[in-house]
Amino acid sequence: MEILDIKDLSFTYNEAALPALKDISLSVNEGEFVVLCGATGSGKSTLLRLLKPQLSPFGTSTGVISFCGSPISECASAADIGFVMQRPEQQIVTDKVWHELAFGLENMGVKQQDITRRTAEMASYFGIEDKFDKSTAELSGGQKQLINLAAVMVTEPKLLILDEPTAQLDPITASDFINTVKKLNRDLSLTVIIAEHRLEEVIPICDRLVIIEDGRIIASGPPNEVVTRVYDRDDIMCGMPAAARISAYLGRKDCALSVKEGRELVRCYNNDKASSEPEKAARSSEPVLEFRNVYFRYERALPDVLNGLNFSVYRGEIFCILGGNGSGKTTALNAAAGILKPYAGNIYVFGKKLKEYKNQSLYRECLALMPQDIQTVFLRNTVREELKDAGVDPASLPYDLTPLLDMHPYDLSGGEQQLAALAKVLALKPKLLLLDEPTKGLDAASKGRIRTLLRGLADSGITIVAVTHDVEFAAEAADRCAMFFRGEIISTASPEEFFSANSFYTTAASRITRGHFEHAVTARKAAELCLLNGRKAGM
Amino acid sequence: MRGFGDLNPAVIMTYYLSVIGTAMFCMDPVVIALSLVGACALFVTLDKKHSLKLHISFFLLFLVMALINPIWYHNGVTVLFVVNDSPITLEALMYGISASAMIVSVLYRLRTFTMIMTADKLLYVFGRLSPQLSLVLSMALRFVPLIRTQTAKVRSTQKALGIYREDNIADTLKGEMRIFSIIATWALENGIITSDSMEARGYGEHRRTNFSLFRFTRGDAVFLALCLIPAAVFAAAVASGEAAFTFYPAMSGTAVTPLSAAGYSAYGFLSLLPCILEWKEDIRWKYLISRI
Repeated sequence: MEILDIKDLSFTYNEAALPALKDISLSVNEGEFVVLCGATGSGKSTLLRLLKPQLSPFGTSTGVISFCGSPISECASAADIGFVMQRPEQQIVTDKVWHELAFGLENMGVKQQDITRRTAEMASYFGIEDKFDKSTAELSGGQKQLINLAAVMVTEPKLLILDEPTAQLDPITASDFINTVKKLNRDLSLTVIIAEHRLEEVIPICDRLVIIEDGRIIASGPPNEVVTRVYDRDDIMCGMPAAARISAYLGRKDCALSVKEGRELVRCYNNDKASSEPEKAARSSEPVLEFRNVYFRYERALPDVLNGLNFSVYRGEIFCILGGNGSGKTTALNAAAGILKPYAGNIYVFGKKLKEYKNQSLYRECLALMPQDIQTVFLRNTVREELKDAGVDPASLPYDLTPLLDMHPYDLSGGEQQLAALAKVLALKPKLLLLDEPTKGLDAASKGRIRTLLRGLADSGITIVAVTHDVEFAAEAADRCAMFFRGEIISTASPEEFFSANSFYTTAASRITRGHFEHAVTARKAAELCLLNGRKAGM
Repeated sequence: MRGFGDLNPAVIMTYYLSVIGTAMFCMDPVVIALSLVGACALFVTLDKKHSLKLHISFFLLFLVMALINPIWYHNGVTVLFVVNDSPITLEALMYGISASAMIVSVLYRLRTFTMIMTADKLLYVFGRLSPQLSLVLSMALRFVPLIRTQTAKVRSTQKALGIYREDNIADTLKGEMRIFSIIATWALENGIITSDSMEARGYGEHRRTNFSLFRFTRGDAVFLALCLIPAAVFAAAVASGEAAFTFYPAMSGTAVTPLSAAGYSAYGFLSLLPCILEWKEDIRWKYLISRI
C-alpha cells in the first residue's frame, strides 16, 4: 500500500533566488525502509521537513505531497508522522525521561491511565526501564537519541522520518540506534525515511536508496542498482560502504553492499601473486608530546581515568588515538592541553614539563586544542569577526572561507564549522595540534577535505594528535594509531599493522579482506590487491 | 514500603503548610517545644549522613538568637541581674529562647522539606494548578544545568585556544562578556530546535493533559485526615483563646481546659506524625524482613 506520494514537488525558500528542491517525485510504500543520501546542502533536510507539516519551512512550493491518499497538510496530525533530528540534546523538552515519553501523549490529550500504559510499553520495548526515573541530563548522547526515538514512537506514527540521527553519535551507539530503527521497521512494518551520512550501516539494510543532488533526485531504487549507477561519481562513492567502493574500483556489475557480500566478492580473486607489506611508520626521533606515568581522576572518590599513561608523539606525525566511550581518550587530550591537572606523573611538551609553562605561554605558538563540541570555539556573530579577533587574514589560509565570512558560525554545516574553527586555531601558530573527534557529524566529502588539510599541516611540520572513534578516518589519515583502553594505551602501530591486527575494532575493508589479503585496511588497497592478483578462473 | 517521603506530594505539601502555618501564629512555649521536638526527630530519622555539624551550627544559632533578646530588650518584671545599668529579665530571656527555638524548628522543617520535595514533586504540586506552568517549570529545570555545562565547556575551550588571556582583569572581563553573549545566542538557537521538537510532537494541537507518576492512594487519604483533623482542633483551641501564652509583663499561660488540652495534644500528634509513620514502617519492615 502506498503511504506517501510526492509528485513534481519544487520548493523555493523565501528570499532565495534558486529553488532548493526541483521536480521531486517519489512514492513510498508502507513498510519500506528508504535511505536518502546526498552532500550537505543538497536539499535532504528541506525535503524531509516538507514531509512533516508542523516543521515545513517557509517558502513557496508547487506539486503535491499526499499522505495515505489525501494532501499531507490536511490529513496528517503530529502523531501520524514521527520526526527525529540530528542533535540529541536539543530535541529533549523536559527534565525527566518519563515526562519526555509522556510529552507527545499529553499534547494529544490522552487520559492518565492510557499514558501510564503506553509509556510503560515504550520503556519496555526500548529497554530503558532502568532510565525511567532518571533526569534527561544524566544520559549519554546515544541514550538521549534513543529517548527521542521512543518519545516519537509513543504516539504510534505511521511514518518515521529521521534527519541524520546518528551524526552526533559514536560508531557503536550509532549502529545500535540504526538497529533499533530497523527493528521497528521489521516488527511493526513501520515506514522509515532516513537521511544519513554514515552509509556503511544503513545501505545494506534498506529497501530503497535515493540520491539527491542540488535539489533533484538523481537516482532512486534498490540500493545495489542505484550504487552501480553512480560508480563513476567519486564524490558520492566516497561515502558508500567499503564493499560498494571495492565493487566500484573493480567495475563489478553486481554491487556488493554488506561486509558479507564484500567477502564473497574478494574471494573471486586470487591471493597468491601479490601482497602488500605494511608501511613502517617513518618518523622523526624528536618527541613533541610525552606522557610519563600519568594518573588522573576527576574526584578523590572516583576511580582513575588515566591509569599510568605512557606514550610519545614525534614531530610532524599524525597520531590517532582510538578507543571506546569512557576509556579516557578525551581526558588524556585535555590533560595534554593543560586543562586538567594529573595528580601524578609528568607530561612533557617539546621536552619541557607542562607545569613549567607559565602565564598561558603554552598556548602561544606552541599548542592548541580543538574541542569535540566545535560550537564552543565561536564567540562572535560572523565568521569574519571571529577571524579578525583571532588575527587571521582569510587570504592566508590554506583553504577558502570567503563564501562563509558573513555567516553566523552556528549556521554553518558541520564541515564548514570545522574549517572555520581550524582557521581560528591555526592563527595561534601551534606546533602541536590536539583534535578531539575532528570528523564528528561530517559527511564523507568533508572528511576527505579535513584529511587532506591535516596531511598538509603535518608535512609543514605541525604535529597532530587526534582522538577519534572514526576507524575509517584513522586508517586513511594517521601515521600511527594507538588503542586506548581503561586509561592507558595498550598498542601503537602504523594503521596497516594496527587495523589488520584487530578483528572487531577495525575498518570494514579490513573485515572484508581478513584471511584473504594481508594488511588491506582501506577499500582502495583491497581493490588494488584484487586487480594485481587477477580474477580466479571461472569466477 | 511507603514512608513519609513516598506519600503523594500534594499531601506532603499540605502537611508542611499546616504544621508550620499553625505554629507561626502561636508564641506558646509548649507548642514551640512540641514543634522543635517533632522537626528535629524527623530530621534525625531521615538524615542518613548523621550531619553532626548541622546540629552544632543550629545550636549555636539558637544560643546567639536566644541571648540577643534579653540583652536588647528589658521588659518584664523579674530581674535576674543588672549589667551596665541594664536589667536582664527572665521574661525577655524566655521570650528569646522561645523565638529562637521556633526559628530553629522551622529551619529543621525546611531541611527535611528540601530532602523530600525534589524538583519533580514540586512540579507535580504546581502542575495541578496549570499544565502550562508545569511544562514551563519542567523545561526550566532542564535548561539551567544545560546552560551551566555549556558555559563551562566554552570557557575551557577558549582557555586552551588562549585567545582571551587571564593576565589582566580587563581581558578576563572582555572574555567573560563574549562568553555570556554567545551563551545567550546558543540558548536561543537551542530553543528553536526544542520548539521544533515540541511542535513535531503535537504541542498546541489539542488541549493538554498533565501526566505524572504520582498516585493518590488510601494511605494518602488516611495521612491527610490524620493531618487535617488535629490541625483543625489546634486551630480551634488557639482561636477560642483557651490555648494562649503571654510573656510580658509577667509570663502567664491560660488555665488547662479540655479544649486547650485537646489542642496541645493535637499539635503534639501533628508535629510527630511523619516520625510516627516512619517508625511504623521501620518496625513493619524489620518484622517482614525477619520472615524472609
